[in-house]
Amino acid sequence: MTTNINPRLTQVFRYVRCSYADGVAELVYAFDHGDELVERVRFPNAPAIPASHQAAFDQALKMLHLIAGVSYYKAGVPPRIEVAGGTLDDSTADLLDALYLHGLAEFAYRNGLDLRGRINFPRGGAKQPEAKALGLPHRTLVPIGGGKDSLVAVEAINSIGGDATAVWVGNSPLIAACAERTGLPMLNIQRELAPGLFELNRLGAWNGHIPVTAVNSAILAVAAILYGFDSIAFANERSASAATLEYDGQQVNHQWSKGYAFEQLLGDWLHQHVAADLDYCSLLRPYSELAVTRAFAKLTPYFDVFSSCNRNFKILGPKPADRWCGQCPKCHFVFLALAPFLPKPRLLSIFGRNLLDDENLAPGFDALLEYQDHKPFECVGEGAEARAAMLALSQRSEWQEDALVARFIREILPQLDVSELALEPWLQPSDEQRIPERLLPALAFFA
Amino acid sequence: MNPQSPASLTNDAPWIVMKFGGTSVATLPRWQNILELVASRRAEGARVLVVVSALSGITDALKQLCAQEDKGKRIEAAKAIAQRHYDLLDHMQLAVPDTLGERLAELAQLADDGPSLLGELAWSARVQAHGELMSSALGSAFLSHSGLDTQWVDARDCLAAIALPNQNERTKLLSAMVETKPDPALNARLAALGEVFITQGFIAREAQGRTVLLGRGGSDTSASYFGALLKAQRVEIWTDVAGMFTANPRQVPSARLLQRLDYEEAQEIASTGAKVLHPRCLSPLREPRVPLLIKDTNRPELEGTLIGPEVREHAPSVKAISARKGITLVSMESVGMWQQVGFLADVFAQFKQHGLSVDMIGSAETNVTVSLDPTENLLDSDALAALASDLAKVCRVKVIAPCAAITLVGRGMRSMLHTLSSVLAEFGQLRVHMISQSSNNLNLTFVVDENVVDELLPHLHELLITAGALRTDDSALFGPSWQALYGTGEVLPPAASWWREERRADLLKIGAGATPRYVYHLPTVRQQARELKTLAAVDRLHYAVKANTHPTILKALAEEGFGFECVSPGELKAVMAVVPESAPLLFTPNFAPREDYEWALTTRATLSLDSLYQLESWGELFRGREVVLRLDLGRGLGHHEKVRTGGSGSKFGLPVEQLDAFLRLADAHGVIVRGLHAHLGSGILDDSHWGEVYGQLASLAERIGSVTFLDIGGGLGVPSHPGEARLDIAALDKVLREVKAAYPHYKLWMEPGRYLVADAGVLITKVTQTKGKGHGQIRYLGVDTGMNSLIRPALYEAWHEIVNLTRLDEPATALFQVVGPICESGDVLGTDRRLPEPQEGDVVLVAQAGAYGKVMSSPYNLRDEAEEVILD
Repeated sequence: MTTNINPRLTQVFRYVRCSYADGVAELVYAFDHGDELVERVRFPNAPAIPASHQAAFDQALKMLHLIAGVSYYKAGVPPRIEVAGGTLDDSTADLLDALYLHGLAEFAYRNGLDLRGRINFPRGGAKQPEAKALGLPHRTLVPIGGGKDSLVAVEAINSIGGDATAVWVGNSPLIAACAERTGLPMLNIQRELAPGLFELNRLGAWNGHIPVTAVNSAILAVAAILYGFDSIAFANERSASAATLEYDGQQVNHQWSKGYAFEQLLGDWLHQHVAADLDYCSLLRPYSELAVTRAFAKLTPYFDVFSSCNRNFKILGPKPADRWCGQCPKCHFVFLALAPFLPKPRLLSIFGRNLLDDENLAPGFDALLEYQDHKPFECVGEGAEARAAMLALSQRSEWQEDALVARFIREILPQLDVSELALEPWLQPSDEQRIPERLLPALAFFA
Repeated sequence: MNPQSPASLTNDAPWIVMKFGGTSVATLPRWQNILELVASRRAEGARVLVVVSALSGITDALKQLCAQEDKGKRIEAAKAIAQRHYDLLDHMQLAVPDTLGERLAELAQLADDGPSLLGELAWSARVQAHGELMSSALGSAFLSHSGLDTQWVDARDCLAAIALPNQNERTKLLSAMVETKPDPALNARLAALGEVFITQGFIAREAQGRTVLLGRGGSDTSASYFGALLKAQRVEIWTDVAGMFTANPRQVPSARLLQRLDYEEAQEIASTGAKVLHPRCLSPLREPRVPLLIKDTNRPELEGTLIGPEVREHAPSVKAISARKGITLVSMESVGMWQQVGFLADVFAQFKQHGLSVDMIGSAETNVTVSLDPTENLLDSDALAALASDLAKVCRVKVIAPCAAITLVGRGMRSMLHTLSSVLAEFGQLRVHMISQSSNNLNLTFVVDENVVDELLPHLHELLITAGALRTDDSALFGPSWQALYGTGEVLPPAASWWREERRADLLKIGAGATPRYVYHLPTVRQQARELKTLAAVDRLHYAVKANTHPTILKALAEEGFGFECVSPGELKAVMAVVPESAPLLFTPNFAPREDYEWALTTRATLSLDSLYQLESWGELFRGREVVLRLDLGRGLGHHEKVRTGGSGSKFGLPVEQLDAFLRLADAHGVIVRGLHAHLGSGILDDSHWGEVYGQLASLAERIGSVTFLDIGGGLGVPSHPGEARLDIAALDKVLREVKAAYPHYKLWMEPGRYLVADAGVLITKVTQTKGKGHGQIRYLGVDTGMNSLIRPALYEAWHEIVNLTRLDEPATALFQVVGPICESGDVLGTDRRLPEPQEGDVVLVAQAGAYGKVMSSPYNLRDEAEEVILD
């Protein structure tokens, strides 16, 4: 930045322009009249775009520009939003207003901000004609996150002989290791944040959680048109739709962009604006965390590579502690949710320690159980699932003397209605999903 | 080649049994190697019996053949196996010898027949035996053809399996035992046949004449059986490593080669971790007292490990430390039940029923705890859950895992307990679930949480040496380190000390005057500084001035471009008085009063905070300021508990759990966190450690937008003991650069102290008198200063080299306790030091006194303080 602006005092956030050439998308933003912030997304070995796909590609790229802007917008949260080229049609503006409001809800809560009424994308533009089918090849992009969920999605698609590619954004060695272990073809897309963002941070920008799944989804929509895929199958469970807490009358959901509401918004938008035959869905949507962990418990070959830990491990090592911090809610939840489905020594060998026998972790597990605390701000299952898993362990001799299980039996269980804690109902699928016909048989993997 | 044939042997010539493993017999060059070694043993005047394994990969191929139900595929497999042997013969330019031809024909027949004739197990044993039968036939042809006349012997005609109670058909055929009483008839029979023999490992014959296998470690065991039957002069196991080490070299690269062990110690070490030898191959040799020698095929010049009866008198020593991971403990609690007849038997019956075998046992009045090894049954079946639920009917059960068993091995362990205090103190900081020591007094085992082991083991190994429990100073027992023998990259020898040759005359002159004196060698300070400047990943180096605040040293380091890290206003003032305005300053106090911060804020120093209190109570003091946050990453490292600065037992740093609270406070007071700092302790010689700290700090910094630099502290170790490897600066740089590549947007700072100045300083003192106590067993050597000048030995049990500079060239003949004149029993500068016979007035030098020497000295007993002298 040439001027030492205070990002928190800016007035306008501008979506300046976006462009694409030779596998590189450039997304340009600015605050007020400050320097341009240029983000680059690199698509490796990008083929030429056929003329018949150009319009769809342009629409997808434009949505990527609008969605990825959230990383920069949040640095200043200025009162006004300007989009180059003027106004958006109402359905586009609706999607963005919802995404920015709900996707930044945790950010707002943590920073003591109220975004309601503040986010208004310019609307009133002409409605686009419905997009046509492009005859996209019947193959699926499966984003790999390094955790259990995407690996279950991979194996579910494998189980029906589906044609899938493991895709990920960024250069996490953990994700690369998991992707490699799947044995699928791999696609690694790079996202380079604008260097100016670091400078803004130095100058005191607002900081916090952004709806990163939305950004990755928009990148994959561009990739699907570019490389030719008819479906993007995320691995978000149904519990992702549940709010983390309610504050001042607003629902705060840490994983809102992994929830069903966003899936519907973006899925419909892609059908209308990009291609009628591009499906965006979550393959795990009908299932609870527990149903997914049960399915994952059978996938032994992944045990020594995966991690759902919230700490960003940029350097991998061979030890469990190099993949699981043991301190964050994700570590706690995955440990607890896998425990009913794995022999205890095997589970402990994955984590390298017994998290349920460490009294210092009581506050963390209390938060999971929604006991004395709210649900933690992480992508973890609903409190009721955690309670069901804990109840199952409390009835098992090899677990019940462990510090936190014993504490559950002693202090928490007497306050609960055991009839509501059965594990079995959690293993049943729900009806809420928008999985395309072609992939529906993969759900048999969870039976 | 044609080995010379030595004079022929008499009938009672001694035997040497030499065993070579699968990789050693798989290629022509390795066979040429074997030829040379065998010929050299024959030249010693011994009959040689060579025991070989199958060619590498062949045993697995034979097992797969056995598992193959399809006859056609079995025949194909047998052909492929034959081809491996033809290929090797081709290389040797040999025709297929008859002995091998017969074996190949038999294998083809067995593959054709399948298991129906002989029965599954007997057929399988017979098939698998062919790996060794073929390799030995091939070897016999090669050795004879090369001029070393070699007789092929069928091991099954020599080794008779014995029937044991409790044996089922499977163990009888696939893991048999052999009678090992010396067999003069066999000896005579072979001696009549020739001088050099080759036979098979792994196989024997049972009473009904069927071929049997010896199970895991079978070839080593065969060699032992032959050694016992022939009452050999020795058995040699030729492998790819020089022998047993004081620890697993993968975990502890500085582990030392064990050159002498007795059978029991070696068996214990083999059982608790060492993979080089199967523990069962030692027992046959114990009774006939046949020694076993482990040698490296590629490096025959290395001494190897000699295992034999305990003969030589030597100081009791721990021989090895090992760790076994993946252990599960089952703790069973019951009041008053254990004494009931049969109760324990019933409990153990449950383990048997669920297919889990117990290893260690620890018991108390109300508790019995047992350990289980990580078997497939434990990890991937419901066995443990079922066991726990059955046990829960009669007692309270707790399953504790994942654990690791750390075992110290050495004869007479109980008599060494007093030397283990620092090791035991280390365990005192951990969760120890069980301690086990058996009546044979060979081991001491601690079961701890598995996740502490990787860091703990090298540390304990080091502590054992420092504490004098592992007597690596005894060169008869302990050989070179694994790192020195096999380590990648160059091994760094200890730097030549400036005081030994170069400046000795100057020091003697100083010593002739008033003593004690501290002497600092400025070129050494500069050299250390320049070495650290080669760390390309590090953007800024600060000298931690608390190590030594001598103004000339401060100036020299400022000239080298160092910044300065100070922990008190006094240090800041001392530094500012001598270094230029441009030198960066860090103020990193701990539990300092508010006034210190107030004053430091008036200077140009960058401040570091390390508690919530400072912001909660004095937040406005720091408004608008940029600070460094010192974090406690929750674990500590270092050479002594008192120099460890991480972990909840330490007063330094903000616990990571309080980071969010700190950031909220910082935000509220407009304080900008510009850097994150962690410092885990001192004297750390393992370079990977800084990479871990750096990576952890970086991942935390990602949550804080304002951070631009990471300070990973200091603590760069300086080796003090002979044989200790120096910190590898190039390796450290590589580790740091890897992390930096992942987090390029953070500058990297370091704060070395002792590393820069320790070796540069010595304490010069003079001999005042000597004294003998207890029949002259303990001798004291008195010098004119002690803990008043140098408190590190008393405070940290620090080891400083001590030499008699006047008599540097005289042989060190006597053992002394080097003590000072202070009225404290702890006033000891060095224990058990081997020095020449001294005289009053001799100049004595205490090395590595440049760091934490003068700065920690005191006027205790009102003795004069040591003055400081600079040499440039």
